Amino acid sequence: MTFALSARDLTKQFGDFTAVDGVQFDVHHGEIFGFLGPNGSGKTTTIRMMLGLLQPSAGEAEILGMPVREHIGEIRPRVGYMSQRFSLYNDLTVIQNLEFYGKAYGLTNTELKASLAKALEMSGLTGRENALTRDLSGGWRQRLALSAAILHRPEVIFLDEPTAGVDPVSRREFWDLLYQLVSENITVFVTTHYMDEAEHCHRLAFIQRGKIIAYGSPEEIKTDMMKAQVLEIEPSDAVRAMKVLRALKNEAKLPIQEVEYYGALVHVVAPNMKKHKKAIAAGLRKANIDPGQMSIIEPTLEDVFIASMKAK
Amino acid sequence: MSFRHLWAVTRKEIQHILRDRATLILVLLTPTAMLLIFAYSLTVELQHIPIAVLDYDRGATSRDFVQQITAGDDLDLYAQVASEDEIEDLLMRGEIKAALIIHPDFSRDLLALRGMPLQIIIDGTEPESGGFAVDHISWRAEKFINTALSDQLQTMGLALDTLQPLDLRVRTWFNPSLKPRNDVIPGMISIMLGFPALSVALTLAHEREHGTMEQLMATPITRTELLLGKMLPYIFVGLVNVVLIPLFAIAWFHISFNGSFLLFFALSAVFLFSILGVGIVIGVFIRTQAAALALSFLVIFFPGFFMTGIFFPISSMPELVRMESLFLPGTHYAIITRGVFLPGVGLDILWPYTVMMFGLGVVFVGIAALFFRKKLG
Repeated sequence: MTFALSARDLTKQFGDFTAVDGVQFDVHHGEIFGFLGPNGSGKTTTIRMMLGLLQPSAGEAEILGMPVREHIGEIRPRVGYMSQRFSLYNDLTVIQNLEFYGKAYGLTNTELKASLAKALEMSGLTGRENALTRDLSGGWRQRLALSAAILHRPEVIFLDEPTAGVDPVSRREFWDLLYQLVSENITVFVTTHYMDEAEHCHRLAFIQRGKIIAYGSPEEIKTDMMKAQVLEIEPSDAVRAMKVLRALKNEAKLPIQEVEYYGALVHVVAPNMKKHKKAIAAGLRKANIDPGQMSIIEPTLEDVFIASMKAK
Repeated sequence: MSFRHLWAVTRKEIQHILRDRATLILVLLTPTAMLLIFAYSLTVELQHIPIAVLDYDRGATSRDFVQQITAGDDLDLYAQVASEDEIEDLLMRGEIKAALIIHPDFSRDLLALRGMPLQIIIDGTEPESGGFAVDHISWRAEKFINTALSDQLQTMGLALDTLQPLDLRVRTWFNPSLKPRNDVIPGMISIMLGFPALSVALTLAHEREHGTMEQLMATPITRTELLLGKMLPYIFVGLVNVVLIPLFAIAWFHISFNGSFLLFFALSAVFLFSILGVGIVIGVFIRTQAAALALSFLVIFFPGFFMTGIFFPISSMPELVRMESLFLPGTHYAIITRGVFLPGVGLDILWPYTVMMFGLGVVFVGIAALFFRKKLG
């Protein structure tokens, strides 16, 4: 079977700096594929190569079964893109922006009319067609940008950090829209550095310093990547407990990998937690701290990524 | 080339311009408004330039001569002095702009047809006034020779014009007897039409700065469609000014327009294509609006003033600059505007310049399309 998108050994070098280093992934038709990584890890560079905006130094990108290098002209009308920075014209109205992108993708007037109504409805901007884009709030603008990117009914859409700087409610609503797109069999490739959004993806890849360090569904990643378990503690004094545990980690008395605050709770990451749970409790009691409720919990993707990033 | 894509870009660009009235007026009327301001400031007529005269000859002929020189409104006899020291003093104080020294042998040499031994000293710190004085003294001296020597020449059997093979007039910018506005306004149209070119450079840089360029690049719109689509509205803006400027020139400055307006309009469109080509080359190579603005002044406006022969004749430039001026669309357009306005010449004479402008335009757009980072890397 063919994939909606594939990257084979995709590499981009800028001088001595390797921004993207042999990246490989396949995206199935009609899934949300998350591309995660910290700032500057090579996410945008990868998207640009996928879209033919940047020539790879090595490797190959394929969209809808066609190599990007040779078939970019055929690919462009079938793909949508919402770039990292707000990509609409602030000094134009909602409708002017939509009409421009519709025509840029070659829609005829009748086609445009039909998609405009749908786009306005989807972005919730019906009735505000003549509002200036700069007067819209962040969440509205993101939805407008998404509507503009899918006016021409693309089969694949690339979203580069679509929710950066958007409030949590708007982010939630934005993800609802993405699920709606997937239900219409559109393949979504989305980058983000929000870990909570990773859990919403069907499958994902985690990129760090240009290399993919984790790849698969959220469950696969959790079981494959997490060789350690997370112990959640509710100590009487979280600040001191933190110090004690970090000291234990640094002195290598216990094989602790990570100690992090989780609100009033503390998460301790270590392999073979069952064996070490008692030693951790004893360490805390020795410093006159009541370890309180202790339970081994299922790691979140965030735990996994932080653990694997530090391991590298 | 898809017409739909082209029109999408053009329409968007027009919407940007129409967005608010201030932008519209600024973009649309700047060329004409600037031309009016420049036409006024550059055509101040010099008058009553104070000069001093040092007459070593002290004869009737030299007295007549001095009288003739200072008879008009152009030169005023500020002082008759007795020594060169006095001249220096007056020049230093700025009380005179030029001094005329008449040689002791002035009358004798003149009547013997050996020439006219005169010396003119000008204030080099004010070359305009000095040049003006030289210009007018020479012109009046020539007239003086004609009248003073006509009898004598006739007795010698010589025709008058054998004595004046040379016209010594220096053509200065401000010479009122040459009606500078006639020359300056048609010449400066080419500079003023640089404003639409600047606008095009700025809109490209604006897309870069705001990140919309990357979005555009991901659409099926091609480089050429994007560049031409952006040029079209500004060619229109330029053409509006191509109509307005002659109207003002004729109605306000009473400049005669002797050629065909249709020809002028058509050739102006060709010029706009080539000068906007310069604008998009700037917009393609430069990433920020501030830098695009600075470079436009360097590449469009300064050479427009100094290298296209509007104020300084190209023939007097160093060879390298002369070559360079051939690659400026304004050089060819200045010849066209002057030709169409004043002598009213037609395409039979102007076609090589038209071909040159069009060729340059094609080269510029080609360079822009070729180097346009369709691939952002």
